[in-house]
Amino acid sequence: MSIRREDVLHVARLAELEVAEEDLPRLVEQMGRIVEFVAQLDEVPAGDSAPPFVAGPAQLTLRPDAVVPSGLVRQPAAFAPEFTKGFFSVPRLGAMAEGE
Amino acid sequence: MSWETVVGLEVHVQLLTRSKMFCGCANRFGDPPNTLICPVCLGLPGALPVPNAEALRLATRAALALGCTVHPTSVFARKNYFYPDLPKGYQISQFDQPLATGGGVTIESPERGRITIGVTRLHVEEDAGKSLHDRLPGRTAIDLNRAGTPLAEIVSEPEIRSPAEARAYLTVLKQLLMYCEISDGNMEEGSLRVDANISIRRPGETQLGTKTEVKNMNSFANVERALIVERDRQIRVVESGERVHQVTMLFNAASGEVRPMRSKEESHDYRYFPDPDLPPLVLSRLWIEQQHAALPELPAARQDRFMSVLGLPPYDAGVLAADRTVADYFEAVVGRGVEPKAASNWVINDAIRAFNETSRFPVSPERLAALVVLVKDGTVSNQAGKRIFAELDQSDETPSGIAERLGLVQVGDADALGAWVDDVLAASPKELERYRGGETKLIGFFTGQVMKKSGGKADPKKIGAVLAAKLK
Amino acid sequence: MSGVGTIAESVGSGRSTAASVAHDVAARLTEAASLNATLHWSAAVLDQQAAALDGLSPAERTTRPLAGVPIALKDNMVTTDQPTTCASKILEGYVSPYDATVVTRLRAAGAILASKTNLDEFAMGSSTEHSAFGRVHHPLDASRVPGGSSGGSAALVAAGVVPAALGSETGGSVRQPASFCGVVGVKPTYGRVSRYGLVAFGSSLDQISVFGKTVDDAARVLAVISGHDTRDATSAPLPPLVLDAPRRNLTGFTFGRPREYFPADLHAGVRAGLDRTAQALQDLGATIKDVSLPHARFAVPTYYIVAPAEAAANLARFDGVRYGPRHLGASGDVQGLYRATRGQGFGAEVRRRILIGTYVLSSGYYDAYYRKAQQTRALLAEDFRKVFEEEGVDFLLTPTTPTPAFKAGEKVEDPVAMYLADIFTCAINLAAIPALSLPVGRSEGLPVGAQLVGPMFSEARMLSVASAIEGVVDAVGEVR
Repeated sequence: MSIRREDVLHVARLAELEVAEEDLPRLVEQMGRIVEFVAQLDEVPAGDSAPPFVAGPAQLTLRPDAVVPSGLVRQPAAFAPEFTKGFFSVPRLGAMAEGE
Repeated sequence: MSWETVVGLEVHVQLLTRSKMFCGCANRFGDPPNTLICPVCLGLPGALPVPNAEALRLATRAALALGCTVHPTSVFARKNYFYPDLPKGYQISQFDQPLATGGGVTIESPERGRITIGVTRLHVEEDAGKSLHDRLPGRTAIDLNRAGTPLAEIVSEPEIRSPAEARAYLTVLKQLLMYCEISDGNMEEGSLRVDANISIRRPGETQLGTKTEVKNMNSFANVERALIVERDRQIRVVESGERVHQVTMLFNAASGEVRPMRSKEESHDYRYFPDPDLPPLVLSRLWIEQQHAALPELPAARQDRFMSVLGLPPYDAGVLAADRTVADYFEAVVGRGVEPKAASNWVINDAIRAFNETSRFPVSPERLAALVVLVKDGTVSNQAGKRIFAELDQSDETPSGIAERLGLVQVGDADALGAWVDDVLAASPKELERYRGGETKLIGFFTGQVMKKSGGKADPKKIGAVLAAKLK
Repeated sequence: MSGVGTIAESVGSGRSTAASVAHDVAARLTEAASLNATLHWSAAVLDQQAAALDGLSPAERTTRPLAGVPIALKDNMVTTDQPTTCASKILEGYVSPYDATVVTRLRAAGAILASKTNLDEFAMGSSTEHSAFGRVHHPLDASRVPGGSSGGSAALVAAGVVPAALGSETGGSVRQPASFCGVVGVKPTYGRVSRYGLVAFGSSLDQISVFGKTVDDAARVLAVISGHDTRDATSAPLPPLVLDAPRRNLTGFTFGRPREYFPADLHAGVRAGLDRTAQALQDLGATIKDVSLPHARFAVPTYYIVAPAEAAANLARFDGVRYGPRHLGASGDVQGLYRATRGQGFGAEVRRRILIGTYVLSSGYYDAYYRKAQQTRALLAEDFRKVFEEEGVDFLLTPTTPTPAFKAGEKVEDPVAMYLADIFTCAINLAAIPALSLPVGRSEGLPVGAQLVGPMFSEARMLSVASAIEGVVDAVGEVR
């Protein structure tokens, strides 16, 4: 399974990553080698199977429903790239692009 | 040629917890923007989610109320997409191992009578923040107070066959959620949000047509309106020989129109995978059984009981059972030994009006029961009862105290009635003569005069006997 | 410089002041500047911490297990008094509004947080060459890399600037640089140390880990930072680690030597270091046994699916909306903002891993890659479990790295070659078990490390065994 230019552009869009045109050929080549490398898993003997691994505790420990202080020693205005009238802000989203 | 409409609904329900789904920030509506935030719901580098036990209890309760199977193991997954009000670039949700599957909602369909709409699944997830497009010039403002609010998403089977059925489904679902104290059901504040999938096909076809998703409907009435508009649009498209495209439509309540939302080519590859920050959620069978046992009697069962045990007509039973507070109030009144139909009349005609205005019952069940008994045993007239009810709201007096104070107690004593009757007959010689001449309908006139003479206090049921004796 | 225990005893008892420790650390940090091991430190922050400590009553001070101990922190653990950048331009200038759990625990224990150390950007790399702020120089040979990704912490400990430092592991990022730099590196069981405040790379693999000049230095710090944390749902519900007494006799212990970890082309110096260690273990009374981990060769490919997949999601939050620098794209819309901020903020290796991670999770590829990798991961974990539970092996003995420290520039253009630097370490992260690397000699002047691997939560015993080896093996002598 080799990686094509379109594959790189597709995942770059999914990951919202700008990829410069001049970086593309090298990226296609490097990703191709990485994907080829990880495809070695095809050689895991078919008889060797197991349910997917879960790291850490076997089950969740839940939190009691209590309101606790935020623990923020600085408020958003101190670290946000743009913070106006109490809001984080970004270029206007058209109503057409709205919502998930 | 006719068309069959096929609708499936996805309902997002905000759960009534004190704190958010994965952090200790308050779960509350209406605070100043970006004040209910912490490292976790801001998605700060290094922050980690820890799930809220109460949110999972409420979601489990909802699932059980819907008759779903709650699974002993479910898994949180990351749903990956970028949006400015989604702090982590993914939403923690559940995907291939949801909390619960396979329930149903029973509705009265205007077209098909009593039917059950299947519930495919119920899963738990976190809400996103809010994007506001009208706060800052040229900018979209982001408020993350809502980010991380616990949600249950309830997905129906595509078994709804009309916009009216969709509305009925939502009405029953909301009733159930409020009954079980899972949600406050407030659509204006976004506690209940509905997305609808709709397609059309020829009756008898088994394949589903291409569906569209309709969003942005802020009331059940608007869900119905939007589905009518979208159904009609699809019919026009197909009848003109075109194909329906799978898109998301936004409903505009002001114009009553739906229009397609711009869709990105990648928008549907969410790359779900199990969230490595959260081990599997394991619920013991015992705990699930305890949640089941703790469910209140649900509205449908309660309506049935009001009919079969208390002998109420279906209309009364339905109105009273629809709201848990109303039903509890009604039962408290009946519990004081009041005849159920009489109690029902008073609750439906008088008490609910006050409840709908103020969300509370101004008259305690004890006092209403006492009033109903006063009317029922003839101590006061029905009309006097209404006056007393209004007074009860204003004071702490007992109904009989008010009746005394206002002089509303009916007089049934034969001597007092006899005196009034004597006075009336003495003052109406012509009428008496005509009566004796055979004009017996004048009995009504004499009764009215006695009532008038008594200032409304005479018990009308007893006047007849006294009159009859005197007229012999 | 003195070890952790000595400093804590001295400052705790009031024989020396935290202020003098802070002063000495500042001098050593200045002296070591050419290593480029530190990204942020300030004399003011050092003095402030020292003053707080010196202001405690003697009774309070003696209860602090790390009183006055200077500890460096990899710059991917968040701190409120110094920046946290993960060696990335996308977090340049970011100062966290909260402290990581390990930071809170170190502060409470009386430690002085000395500096934030350089790393491969977002801990992705094995050499620090992927730092946006320049690589770290190996303390013994500036032309070589110190290993990575926690290379800055390793170099500072090796250079004697601090007796201990925190790093983080995802696939070997503490043991590998510990081996390259000739210091001790301990990767605890997954869940032993809270990840709250560790900027996530591969969440199911990440574990905060410790460097020490000696086994004792590392062990004392691990004891302080370990233990359950309610803010991390993957944290093990266990109390802090209680250390075993150091051992001088290993009679009754069995060490397994997995043949897959001793390939024919293993570097001769590394092989000699391991032979010497095996001999030392036998001299201490232990038994050596050859064992097999049949799925070992699948570890690196499994790792390079799981880690990038998790990373792709973990790094989605760096979008220029809530924190960090923002770049506006040509289009002027939100998507342009995302793409420019992320495209310009992330370096080449991080971008590659995000793309790979996105690819293996994308529609149509999930089963072939991600699911397959998680299944293989279970097989790898099962290999280890069998060796420990069914073959009577107490610990495994392996090389930490296939070679001593390599030259800068040697692998940076070849991602797959760089990935193979993790070949002996990443299976341990996949299996979520503990391991450590300790120096067992030098080959042509460069340190060689031996790795001990144990079953889940066996850190206390493992550290006591490591101290026995440390007592008999000449860690700085040539191996042949």
